[in-house]
Amino acid sequence: MIKIKFPKLKTLDNVKLHLDALVVGAKEAIKPGTITIEYPRERRLLPDSFRGYVLFSPENCISCFQCSFVCPANAIGMKLAANNRYYPTIDYTKCIFCHFCVDSCPGAALRPTKVHDVVYKNMNEMITSTEEMVKPPKIVREDGYTVEYVIDGVKLILRRIKEKDNLIPEFKPHEKVKEYSACVMPESCLACGICVSSCPSEAINLSVKEKEKELKIDKERCTGCGICVKECPVQILSLVRE
Amino acid sequence: MAITLEWSVKIPDRAIEEKYWLNLKKKVIDAGLCSHCSTCALICPVDGIISADREIDFPDWEEKCVDCSACVRVCPRYDYTPLCDIGEYIELTAARSKRFKGQDGAMATEFMASALEMGLIDRALFVGRDEEWRTNIYHIRSVDQLKDTRLTGTKYSFASVLPEIKKAMKTSKLGIGVVGTPCMVSGIRKLQSEFSLFREKIKLVCGLFCTENFYHHQLYEFLKEKGVDFSKLIKTDITKGKFIATMTDSVVSFPVKELNDIIPHGCEVCIDFTAVESDFSVGSVGSNVGYSTVVVRGEVAKDVLDFIRENNYADFGKVIPEVIEKLSNLKKKRKKNIPEEFRSRIQEEVKPEESKESKESREKESEKEKTEKPKEQEGTKEG
Repeated sequence: MIKIKFPKLKTLDNVKLHLDALVVGAKEAIKPGTITIEYPRERRLLPDSFRGYVLFSPENCISCFQCSFVCPANAIGMKLAANNRYYPTIDYTKCIFCHFCVDSCPGAALRPTKVHDVVYKNMNEMITSTEEMVKPPKIVREDGYTVEYVIDGVKLILRRIKEKDNLIPEFKPHEKVKEYSACVMPESCLACGICVSSCPSEAINLSVKEKEKELKIDKERCTGCGICVKECPVQILSLVRE
Repeated sequence: MAITLEWSVKIPDRAIEEKYWLNLKKKVIDAGLCSHCSTCALICPVDGIISADREIDFPDWEEKCVDCSACVRVCPRYDYTPLCDIGEYIELTAARSKRFKGQDGAMATEFMASALEMGLIDRALFVGRDEEWRTNIYHIRSVDQLKDTRLTGTKYSFASVLPEIKKAMKTSKLGIGVVGTPCMVSGIRKLQSEFSLFREKIKLVCGLFCTENFYHHQLYEFLKEKGVDFSKLIKTDITKGKFIATMTDSVVSFPVKELNDIIPHGCEVCIDFTAVESDFSVGSVGSNVGYSTVVVRGEVAKDVLDFIRENNYADFGKVIPEVIEKLSNLKKKRKKNIPEEFRSRIQEEVKPEESKESKESREKESEKEKTEKPKEQEGTKEG
């Protein structure tokens, strides 16, 4: 066991520290709000990369399941939607806000927001369905100011901006290296067509001729989601970088 | 690695204008040619083909079958080329492992263990058994696992070894070793000729001398009627025309001919006794008691044998090739059961020095000892 000893200070330093504390106390008494933020009437300015509530845009989703695979807390479930596609749902009782799902999403269908203060009345409410994920959650905003912490040397300064912070920042998806699926061992192909039926963007085509089956991957259509690579029973497909 | 966006796959002709699975069912399974080697179950992309203790089946083919033709392409009996005799070999020897205990000389185990030690393979598929002698497949990853002698010995029941190759392929980095009956060896070879993927990964194929194999439930019922108590059973063997079941306190023995009624159809049309296509084959026939006969055919198996010699892992003995020939000829008589269209493909080794009479007399002799050891499979429980 390590015991941490109280640092032995020189008398002069000790006096100085006490005086500093008294000055801060006096300042706070005369003009309050110099060291603390009055949440919820004020909100702290958060960076755009803040990992909060996750939004979802179904039109970008290719049902590749990447988010649910990558989720370390196992919070993401894939539910069958009316259009026969699988979309994610997030269980916020489990979510650790690591945003691996956002990072892994190949189509940028998942976007981060700065919302971190959603109130739930019970545990079941925290399992967020796909429909709920499309719109930002309802939160009561009482704030009029946005407060920014500025550290100037050793001094901490609070800067107040009389503007409401936009909690849903414009999301610029990181530029991904374009990948596409290709066959690396054509002579082992079973021609079973599982890749064709699994492809969400209809990029693989199988045509049956008299004596052979022809398979073709449309590079332009392929989004590089890797579903076919995963589904191929003999594992002969692979993602190739452009 | 050749990367391609466009490729084509040749598809075989259909015998009937139905899904390929129905072609297979009609031409092989219903025709009584199926050897239960399970190669189709291995390749089926939807895992629909079931290889269990009954005929190979695809119960929900109507909804699941994608009609890919893979099962037809890999089936060694769809376009059957019956093989027979001992075939070409590099070395014929008899040996007894110093490290392992098996049916006879435990050479199948020894070869696989040595291959594991050499770093040639990192997975070996072995057949073990449960209390009722049902077959289970075990993935062997270290030599120590094979030292467990509790579950070694011949089972005489079909085992679904080949479907396990699919699982082993995913985890194996170096290669896979497989021990199987001649039909399974043929299945693997057909698979390798069709799909190059398996050519690289399946490195060592051990064939076992085999006259026939049984469905577990049929053999179980039969042996139970004969008074075999499976909880005490420690070894089954076929020697000199007798089936011998050794239990901890007694021995049940009967002429192997009595088993004729339960021989599956697939075995009736098989004339391959020594697993001609294997890298090496192992059996008890042709060597002294306690020794296994080893027929080394491939260069890889030869390397393993040299490794065994170098490390002095086995004692070597004498082989009597005539006995193997005798039994292989005995099995060859089944060619009368093979449908006409395939029978013409049989390529027999011509032995000019043999007269018809001597052949006949020899066959009569060998009839007395109808079957020798058909199968040797050692397996151990993992962990």
